[in-house]
Amino acid sequence: MPFTYQLTSALLGLGLATGILYLVRRNHLHTRYALPWLIVAGIIGLLGVFPSLADTISSHLGISYPPTLVLVGAVALLVIKLLVMDIDRSQSEVRVQRLIQRLAILEERIEALQGRRGSPPP
Amino acid sequence: MTQFPNLAGMVLIPAYNEGATIGRIVEESAWATGWPVLVIDDGSLDDTVARAAAAGARVLPLVMNIGSWGAVQAGIRCALEAGAELVVTMDADGQHLADHLYRLVEPIRAGDADVTIGAHVGRASAARLLAWRIFRAITGLGVEDLTSGFRGYNRAALRILASPDATLLDYQDIGVLMLLREADLRFLEVEVEMRPRTSGQSRVFSSWLRVARYLAVTLVLCVSKWEHSGPWVRNAQPRRT
Repeated sequence: MPFTYQLTSALLGLGLATGILYLVRRNHLHTRYALPWLIVAGIIGLLGVFPSLADTISSHLGISYPPTLVLVGAVALLVIKLLVMDIDRSQSEVRVQRLIQRLAILEERIEALQGRRGSPPP
Repeated sequence: MTQFPNLAGMVLIPAYNEGATIGRIVEESAWATGWPVLVIDDGSLDDTVARAAAAGARVLPLVMNIGSWGAVQAGIRCALEAGAELVVTMDADGQHLADHLYRLVEPIRAGDADVTIGAHVGRASAARLLAWRIFRAITGLGVEDLTSGFRGYNRAALRILASPDATLLDYQDIGVLMLLREADLRFLEVEVEMRPRTSGQSRVFSSWLRVARYLAVTLVLCVSKWEHSGPWVRNAQPRRT
């Protein structure tokens, strides 16, 4: 059987979904991060098996060349995903920094209690 | 020397590889104020910790370098827990004079200000003065020396600066002042002399690339907090992490 557009795309979606599940199974990926990726895999598979879906949606949105819709949609999702990642990173940076600070405060307190540096306890 | 024995104060000195000067700074500032001196070691690779401790300072050893403001904030959190009513911050490189610490303390003690900024505009290059002028125009902060790390804070100011929202800041300069202004705290700039640096370099103005980054980051901060800076401080309840 020759590879058709539908088959290739469906395999891609299926492969992505399998890969995600494998990563969760191997504890390489947090379950809550897996869900959005499985949805993406589902969309890829769906659009692959039913390419006419893109055509239908495009015609409703007044887009004359349906693949544009798919590509623009993909880029938009990626940009949003990157932004969310940076927001998460900012939050975890704050957490890490405050933990480093607290660690230092506690360490100083222990040193003071043990009297090793000769400073009075707080 | 003007000591303040009846005031629960603390001197905070963030230090990064300042072993050459830290001992003297600790001794001078302890002598000048009669207060405990807290050196926050920002992951130094030299003997800063040992020399500061030998000079009689309490030392907060940060396990890794988190930047000057992160170090100051660690000290502020520690000072709050220790019950400090007033804190002064000074650089470890010797450019701030311990003899002038009282100028930061007096206005706060007298109730004339919540925050004092030791300013020495004469030290600034033309480029830096221009940058300050631009940031002053954008932010509307009536402070001449925006980057001075020679400051005094009362307890109200310390509470705000200890918050997680303040942790997001990169430097102890304009962002800190904007945060304090949102809480309607009163600033007072006092003229002080500064020595040329005896060691190290400005951590902000050390290379052109860093200057460019600093200016860009500060510009983004000023613009994004312009007018719409309310929620930032309203959320600023001190929390423990």
